[in-house]
Amino acid sequence: MPPTARPRQPGRRLSRLVNIGIPYLWLGIFFLLPFVIVLQISLAEPRLAQPPYTALAEWLGDGVLSIRLDLQNYLLVLSDDIYLAAFMNSLKVAFFCTLLCLLIGYPMAYAIATAPSRWRIPLLMLIILPFWTSFLIRVYAWIGILQTSGFLNNFLLWLGLIDEPLAILYTQTAIYIGIVYSYLPFMILPLYANLTRLDRTLLEAAADLGCRPFRAFVRVTLPLSRAGIIAGCMLVFIPVVGEFVIPDLLGGPDTLMVGRMLWTEFFSNVDWPLASALAILLLGLLVIPFVLMQRWQLAAEDPDR
Amino acid sequence: MSVAIDRRALEPWQDPSAVPFVRIERVTKQFGDIYAVDDVSLSIFQGEFFSLLGSSGCGKSTLLRLLAGLDYPSSGRIFIDGADVTDIPPYQRPVNMMFQSYALFPHMTVEQNVEFGLEQERMPRRERAERVGEMLDLLKIGELRKRKPDQLSGGQRQRAALARSLAKHPKLLLLDEPLGALDKRLRENTQFELVNLQERIGTTFVTVTHDQEEAMTMSSRIAVMEAGRILQIDTPTGIYEFPSNRFVAEFIGSVNLFEGRVMQRDGDLVTVETRLGRPIQMRCPLPLALGKPVTIAIRPEKIRLSAAYRDDAVNQIRGTVEDIAYLGDVSIYHVRISPDQVTRMTLANIQPQTEQELTWGQEVAMEWSPTSGVVLTD
Ligand SMILES: Nc1ncnc2c1ncn2[C@@H]1O[C@H](COP(=O)(O)OP(=O)(O)O)[C@@H](O)[C@H]1O
Ligand SMILES: [Mg+2]
Repeated sequence: MPPTARPRQPGRRLSRLVNIGIPYLWLGIFFLLPFVIVLQISLAEPRLAQPPYTALAEWLGDGVLSIRLDLQNYLLVLSDDIYLAAFMNSLKVAFFCTLLCLLIGYPMAYAIATAPSRWRIPLLMLIILPFWTSFLIRVYAWIGILQTSGFLNNFLLWLGLIDEPLAILYTQTAIYIGIVYSYLPFMILPLYANLTRLDRTLLEAAADLGCRPFRAFVRVTLPLSRAGIIAGCMLVFIPVVGEFVIPDLLGGPDTLMVGRMLWTEFFSNVDWPLASALAILLLGLLVIPFVLMQRWQLAAEDPDR
Repeated sequence: MSVAIDRRALEPWQDPSAVPFVRIERVTKQFGDIYAVDDVSLSIFQGEFFSLLGSSGCGKSTLLRLLAGLDYPSSGRIFIDGADVTDIPPYQRPVNMMFQSYALFPHMTVEQNVEFGLEQERMPRRERAERVGEMLDLLKIGELRKRKPDQLSGGQRQRAALARSLAKHPKLLLLDEPLGALDKRLRENTQFELVNLQERIGTTFVTVTHDQEEAMTMSSRIAVMEAGRILQIDTPTGIYEFPSNRFVAEFIGSVNLFEGRVMQRDGDLVTVETRLGRPIQMRCPLPLALGKPVTIAIRPEKIRLSAAYRDDAVNQIRGTVEDIAYLGDVSIYHVRISPDQVTRMTLANIQPQTEQELTWGQEVAMEWSPTSGVVLTD
């Protein structure tokens, strides 16, 4: 557009400022500010006082402002294998849970999106309905299902598939079950939103050009639902990396996950700076793949760039 | 004699021994209680440019989809090139379709779109690249090969879709409103291009359109459809000059209709009595019973309109000029011939408008010869 296209309109500028400003203000207050506070704590030292960490900047008088940035917390986290193991385990659990959610959620989303229109809303309701019960209660319910004398074991014993109860609760398997169950809707909903927008005539065109239904799915439906797959995977992967409640309730006491580690450092050891350093590193761990993914997606959408 | 043979080669439907390339036999397609296609039978010959013409919702697209295999008939059978394809899925039919919305794959380039069908039949890579190049050249879109559909204009998309549907060298190409999404000027140019293309490659084309002018320009034959049924199948000339019923007469171009009853028959000449004055004489090959109610259909340009009328003309209806619409090349005259009927007439403006002999309110007579129209029985 030529720079002199139209005269400036103060009213319009103001409304633009408000439109752009409000989301930024929101992000500033609810994301940036807490981030800065946590970052600041992560660079402090723990102490037995209220608050349980030292101040970064100290006014020493005579015009001297002393700033102490303590990188000990980061060094500790990076040098101690147990933290690294927790990170790796969290990433592993998140990765496989995301994969499982995708494998289970895609067919479900596809089935709902292609169901007769009068069925779609009821089916979606079934996906959303569990949200009406507290998350905590639903995870507790899994304890009842998975424990040694629980519903699942009794059922399998009754069927005669097993001779003695399986130890599922307080294992990694229980964590997977709990996480996949809890996060499945976050995979299904964006996929559903994407798949309902898929133009069915594209599949007819593929069939017309000699493509069998399964190949048409691979060549047309799957690539066109990439945005939904990415959105769903993000919505599952990111919160699962930091997941605390499910591993804590369903996992064994020796389960190493970042979320639990954080909780322990904050509340049991009252080492806020170390916990904050963990949180910052976790954030970095999540932001970097996110940025990479976004750049990859942009590049894929516009190969000329 | 040789003339007759040529005519048969050009118009295989005139030849009772010609084997049709596509045969639709008593096909019906129901959606719930809607009969989208209602007991349609139809033969299409090799190399034809066949059009299905009708207003929106009359079942044209459904009939085309039945040929493509995208829908299956509720009853009846479909034969293509001698084989019964009624139950064959679309991906195994020797047929390709150009969709009304083009249905280009948005995540693939023009080139990949055109190549898609060839990949499915596992054509070797070299041959595939060659064919794609051929198709892009044929439709003059070579320089767009790396573009995605959303980087193309409407006309370019239309060409890409056409290239894709032709790439597999189908025996039969189906086109659903191929020019529907183009603006008027582009549409007129593309009509001729499409006909030239079809003549060059010799593929049998079946197109769907709601635009009668388009159907008249492009087709070897036209099937006029209404409410799932075929009302008439004929050449553009046949449809225009000899409509077989009132709906077709009114749907294609404009027409003047006069209602009456058969008064007398003399060979293939019938005399029809109307409420508009003297009886009307028309040529009509059908054996009509005396007293049968009929409608005489006459195209406006076949009527002479003049103020200097004679009393001994064969067919004459008198009236008053009520309105004149000047369109440049022609003028349209509205003539009141009875208290409840006004007819429209087109006259070429041979003289400048100021020197026209007819004016508002003038007493005029409309005259035509017995061979200038048809007698319809419904
Ligand atoms: N999939 C379908 N389900 C229900 N009704 C349909 C379907 N497809 C077409 N119809 C109906 O069949 C009739 C013919 O449709 P169509 O063949 O698309 O008409 P046209 O292409 O001549 O405009 C319409 O009344 C339409 O509503
Ligand atoms: Mg249509």
